[in-house]
Amino acid sequence: MKRIILFGSGVALLGIVGLGTLVIWPIGLKPDPIELTGDVDRGAYLARASGCIACHTDFEDRGAPLAGGVKLDTPFGALYSANLTTDPEHGIGDWTIEEFAKAVRQGISPEGEPYYPAFTYPFYANFTDQDIADLWAAFQTVPAVSQPAPSHQMAFPFDQRWGLKLWRAAFLEPPRTGPIEGNDPVWNRGRELVEGATHCAACHTGRNILGARNSDDEHFAGNPSLPGGNKAPAIDHETLQSRDWTVDALAYALKTGITPSGDAFGGSMGEVVLQGTQFLTVADRQAIATYLMDDHSGG
Amino acid sequence: MKKLTVITAFVFTSAAFAAYAHGGATGIVKERMDAMSAMGKAVKAITPMMRGEIEFNAASVRSVAKTIGNHAGADLTELFPEGSGGAPSETRDAVWTNWNEFTELAEQLEVYADGLARAANNGMMAGTQSGMSSGAMMGGSSMMGGGTMMGGGMMQGAMTADDIAGMPVDGAFAMVSQVCSACHTKFRAESK
Repeated sequence: MKRIILFGSGVALLGIVGLGTLVIWPIGLKPDPIELTGDVDRGAYLARASGCIACHTDFEDRGAPLAGGVKLDTPFGALYSANLTTDPEHGIGDWTIEEFAKAVRQGISPEGEPYYPAFTYPFYANFTDQDIADLWAAFQTVPAVSQPAPSHQMAFPFDQRWGLKLWRAAFLEPPRTGPIEGNDPVWNRGRELVEGATHCAACHTGRNILGARNSDDEHFAGNPSLPGGNKAPAIDHETLQSRDWTVDALAYALKTGITPSGDAFGGSMGEVVLQGTQFLTVADRQAIATYLMDDHSGG
Repeated sequence: MKKLTVITAFVFTSAAFAAYAHGGATGIVKERMDAMSAMGKAVKAITPMMRGEIEFNAASVRSVAKTIGNHAGADLTELFPEGSGGAPSETRDAVWTNWNEFTELAEQLEVYADGLARAANNGMMAGTQSGMSSGAMMGGSSMMGGGTMMGGGMMQGAMTADDIAGMPVDGAFAMVSQVCSACHTKFRAESK
């Protein structure tokens, strides 16, 4: 609530300082030059884990890999995922690695425009320079698709990108991916993935009326109204345990989609498994499950 | 005005029927729900085995594969006549607007179940809990891993029964389960 008030105050402040200031208010930090050599396989793996391929490939219409165009119906209007192929005009072919780093970690385009948080960049903020270099190397292998993704159809005032600067000021938080000292490496690896790359909270944590996650009091408490009418169940460890999940069962579900009742995932989670987690290593799925099945509140 | 009254009455009556039917599905909807439950039970029965938690038994796998096979292909699609959607059914209209793909998945399930039955004698993959790990799939040093992962949507990488039959049984089972999940993802409304 405090943040909504903060946001409201920000809006009120607008009247005083003037819109112009906000429109030209520069955001983000210029990344230092990245000169590391990327590993394509590692980058492709991270792209899988992070959902780049799942969200930026229109599987429904058998679209080309990473050519974007997947529609996301939000309460504020329709968004389409971007073309991330190497096409210089419609994709990211003419970007520098530093621009790429800023887009992924900070959610800011090469033109300095903030992205809508439907792009889950808040989870990627702690990606290392090596992670970025690996991703960048992998993206260089994507065949160019010379076709623009459809334009967003956001209702006023949400089509005004400067509004996102206020949103960022009010709601943007660093992801809680850092290791907790004293916990075993598997648990900490799970934390790194769950709170970062695999961005579970994007769907499994509820959002306030401005689309920001209620991380402090509703972390993993589920979200009854996902874009497109889907629902995400609670995945806090107590709920998972009460629904017969175990570490092994959960790790196995991330590979096969099979739930403890013998059902198979559908909806968004089916997509997550089929386009994402089934390609992870056994060890990483086990790590994700280990973390989720344990008490990690306040972490 | 009268027309409106009639429509309103109709809407309320329909809603009442829908509410009534929700208590227990009947007819073809119940039939397909029962078929799905039978497959779910079968899957549940051998999942702990496929995870290496209980002792492996080839006969159980064959029996489960047979159950799935019997409910797949045309046996599955014939339970989805046009116009049988709506509550209490969880079927999405996409089944009928995208009938070809629905049929393909149902047939794929039958083929994979056949493969699973024949893979039963192969035993479990040594050392790991599931067959295809990412390492193998990610090869080829490109984002696409040689096209295997990314080609043509969900139907990508459709295998033959012989392919499946050649896999360790837990890998074959994972392939079958992913068909279940692929179909649910596209064609089942999520109620929970």
